[in-house]
Amino acid sequence: MLDPVILAQILWTGIATSAPYVLMTVGFALTLKVTGLWNFAHAGLMAIAFYTMFFAIDFLELPVLVALLLAAAVTGAASLVIEIFGLQVLRDRGSSNLTFFIFTLILSEFIIYVITLLFGTEPETLFKSILSPVTIIGDVAVSDWDKAAVLIAAGGLALLYAFLTWTREGQFLNAVADNARLAELYGISARRAWRVVSAIAALFIVAAMYLIGTHGGVVPNSPLELILTAVIGTLLGGIGRVFAAAAAAVFLGLIQSFSILVIDSRWQNLLLYGVLFVTILLFPRGVRLPRFRLLLAGR
Amino acid sequence: MEYLATIGVLIAIYVILSSSYDLIIGYGGLSTVAHPIFFAIGAYTAGLLAIHSSLPAPLNVILGGMAAMVASVLLAASALRVSGDYLLIASLGFQLGLLQLIKNLDFTGGPGGLTAIPGTVTGAARTPFFLVVSGLLAVATVLGIRAIVTGPYGRAITAMRDEELAFTALGRDATSMKIVIFAIGCGIAGTAGGVYAYYFQYISPDQFEVLQSAAILTMVVLGGMGTTFGPVVGAILLLAIPRAITFLNLPPSIMAPTQGIIFTVLVLLFLFLRPAGIVGLSRKTL
Amino acid sequence: MTAVLRTEDLCKRFGGIVVSDSVNLTIDRGEILGLIGPNGAGKTSLFNLISGVLRPDSGSIYLNGEAIDAAALYRRARLGIARTWQNMLLFRTMTVLENLLIAPRSYPGESILRVAFARAAVREAERHARDRAMTTLARMGLEQTASEMVVDLPFGQQKLIGLARTLMNDGPVLLLDEPMAGVEGAAYETMQRVVREEAEAGRAVCVVEHNVSFIRDLCSRAVFMANGKILQDGTVAELIASSALTELYFGV
Repeated sequence: MLDPVILAQILWTGIATSAPYVLMTVGFALTLKVTGLWNFAHAGLMAIAFYTMFFAIDFLELPVLVALLLAAAVTGAASLVIEIFGLQVLRDRGSSNLTFFIFTLILSEFIIYVITLLFGTEPETLFKSILSPVTIIGDVAVSDWDKAAVLIAAGGLALLYAFLTWTREGQFLNAVADNARLAELYGISARRAWRVVSAIAALFIVAAMYLIGTHGGVVPNSPLELILTAVIGTLLGGIGRVFAAAAAAVFLGLIQSFSILVIDSRWQNLLLYGVLFVTILLFPRGVRLPRFRLLLAGR
Repeated sequence: MEYLATIGVLIAIYVILSSSYDLIIGYGGLSTVAHPIFFAIGAYTAGLLAIHSSLPAPLNVILGGMAAMVASVLLAASALRVSGDYLLIASLGFQLGLLQLIKNLDFTGGPGGLTAIPGTVTGAARTPFFLVVSGLLAVATVLGIRAIVTGPYGRAITAMRDEELAFTALGRDATSMKIVIFAIGCGIAGTAGGVYAYYFQYISPDQFEVLQSAAILTMVVLGGMGTTFGPVVGAILLLAIPRAITFLNLPPSIMAPTQGIIFTVLVLLFLFLRPAGIVGLSRKTL
Repeated sequence: MTAVLRTEDLCKRFGGIVVSDSVNLTIDRGEILGLIGPNGAGKTSLFNLISGVLRPDSGSIYLNGEAIDAAALYRRARLGIARTWQNMLLFRTMTVLENLLIAPRSYPGESILRVAFARAAVREAERHARDRAMTTLARMGLEQTASEMVVDLPFGQQKLIGLARTLMNDGPVLLLDEPMAGVEGAAYETMQRVVREEAEAGRAVCVVEHNVSFIRDLCSRAVFMANGKILQDGTVAELIASSALTELYFGV
C-alpha cells in the first residue's frame, strides 16, 4: 500500500512546494523579530512583487533576470517607503499595536484593490506555460522548478544566516531585535536596522513570488491567503526564531502533501487552519524541540 | 421606497456592528479584527434554527447572539492567557478557520451559502417591520454601550486601557474584564447576525471575510474610535458612499475595486491625519 | 505576635541573575520597615514578588499567617497588599479624583450586572468612595486638584496622588517604592507625615528608598539588600554604622 517510491515522491514534492512558503515566512518572521510587528503589509508587497514581474515579462517582454531585478527594486522601494513614511511615523507617535495592524492590513488591501483595477481578477502566471521539464532521479520525478525552488530557498536561508552571523549589519539586527533601546545606547541605530530588515524582507518576497508565479496562477487576492502560511509558520516556529519558522514552513508543506494519502483534497485547506487552531491553543509560543536545540548548541 | 428601506435596515445593522466593535477596540483597547465571524455565528445559528427547528424567530436571534458570545469567551479566554496582542492573531486565525469550515460543511450550504431561510414576516409590511426592529436594536445598542462606558464601569475600562499593571495591582481582574467586554461586543454582533439572516433570507461565507473586517474597522476608525456616535457616523457614511457611486454606472469589474480603494484610502488618510476620527475630539492619539 | 507580612526563603532568578536569594522578611503591624541597598539589589523585585507581579521560583509569602502564594496580583490587592510604583503608573487620561476612585477594595459599580440591576447600591458605593477620596486628598492638601487631569499636576503632587490612590486600598500592608524620588519641599513634608500616620493607624509599611534621611526619620528598623540577599537586618543606626555596608552601598 505505502510504496516507498510514492512516499519519496510526496516527500520531495512537499519539500519543493514549501520552498516559496519558506522564503516568505522567513521574511515575515525576521521582520517580526527585529521590528516586533506582525507586518501584514507583506501581503501588499507580495502583490507588488508578482505584478511587477508579470508586467515586465508579459507586457514589456523583458528578460527574466531584468524582470527580477526590476521587481526587487520596486518591491524594495515600496517596502522602504512603508517603513519610513508609514511605520516610523506611527512609532514616533507611540501608536498601539492595533494601529500598526490596521495600517499594514488596510495598506495591503489598498494595494490589492489598485492591482485588481489594473490587472483584473483572472489568475495569471509569469510564463505562458507552467509545465516544467521533469527528470527521473531514482524513481522520483524531479522537475526543473522543484530544483530551482529548493536551490533558491536554501540559498536564501544560507545567505541570511551568513549575513546575520558574520556581518556587522546583521549583528546589529540581532542587537536591535533583542532590545532596541539598549542597542541605541551602544550606538546602533534601530531605525537603520528596521530599514535594512524591510529591504531584506522585500528580497525574500520577490524570490517567493517568482517561485509561486512560475508554478501556478496568482490573483490579486492570493497574497492575503499566502501571508496566512507565513503567520502560521511564524507561530509554529516560535516568535523570534526565524530559522525555526522556516522549518515550520517546510513542515506545513509536508503535512499538506502527505495529507493526500489520508484525506479528501477538499479538506486540504482546512488542514492548514486546523494546524493554526492547534498552534494557537496549544503552542502559542511555538513548538520547541529541546533535543534538536541541544544538538545545534553542541556544534 | 423599498430600496431605501433596505438600505435603512443595512445601516441599522452596521451601526450595531460598528458600535459593538468600537466597544471592543476603541473603549476596551483589545486587538481583534474578527468581528464579522461573530456576526456570522449569529447569522448561521439563527438561520439554521429557522430552517430546522420550530422555535420562535426572536428566540433564534437571541440564541444566535448567545452562540457568538460563547465562542468569543472561549477564544478570548485562551488567547488572553498568552498576551493582549496575541488575541489579534488568534482571532484572525479563528475567523479564517471557521469560514473555511463553513465553506466545507454540507449543512451550512458550503461556499454557496445558506438559502431559503424562512421569512417570518411576509407581505407589504415586511421591510418596514424589519426597519423598525433593526432600528430599535441599533438605538438600544448605541445607548446600551453608552451606559456601559460612562459611569464607574467605563472609568474602570479607561483605567485598564491607560495602565493595566497599576489597574490590576489595585485589585481589578483585567483579564476577566477584557473577556466580558469582548463577549458583550461579540454577543451584540451575533444578535445583529440573526436579524440579518431573517431579513435577507440568504447568507454566504464570503459576506464575513476579512474584507468585511476591514469595512467595519473603516467605519470605526473613520467615525472616531472610543466615541459613542463615531461608529454611527462611520457606518452611515460608508454605506452611503458606495450607493452614491452606483449612479456613475461603472461596470462591476471597476466598481468593486474603486469602492475598495475609496475605503482604504479614507482609513489611511484618517489614520495619519486625523487619528481621532470625524467625531473624536479628545487628545487621545491612536 | 505574628507578623502581618512574612516571606519565607523567597527565591527568584532571571537566567543567571539572582534577584531574590532566600529572602526572609517580616513586617509587623504599625511598623515602618526601610528597605535599602544599591541599585539592582532586588528591592523592587521583592515588592514585585510580594504583590504578585512576579512569581517566585520557590518560597512562600504569608499574610496574617496565611499563605497567599496561589493568589494572583489582583487577588493580593483585594486581600489588602497595596503598593505604589517607582514611576507612579497613574491613569493618564483621567482626573485626580477618577484615579482615586479606581482604587477601593470594593467596587460594585464595576460589575455590569450590578450597574444594570442594583443601581441604588452602586450609587451608595460611589458616594462613599467619593467621600473617602476627598478625605484622602484633603489630608494631603490636594482637595482642590480633584477635578484636574492628573498629568497636568507638578511632579511632586503626582507622587502624592500615587500614594493617595494606593491609600484608597484600606488593607493591612502598604509597600512604597521610592516615594521620595524627585520629591522636595512641601510635598516631602506631606509624604513623610502621611506615611507616619498610616503606620500609626496600624498598617504594616515597607519603604524602598535611597533617601537615607527619610529612612532615618521614619523607620525604626531597616533591612539592607544586595544581589538579591538580605545582608543585615537591624535598627537604622546599626545599618548606617556598618562600614562594610556603606562601602557596598556608596561604593567608597
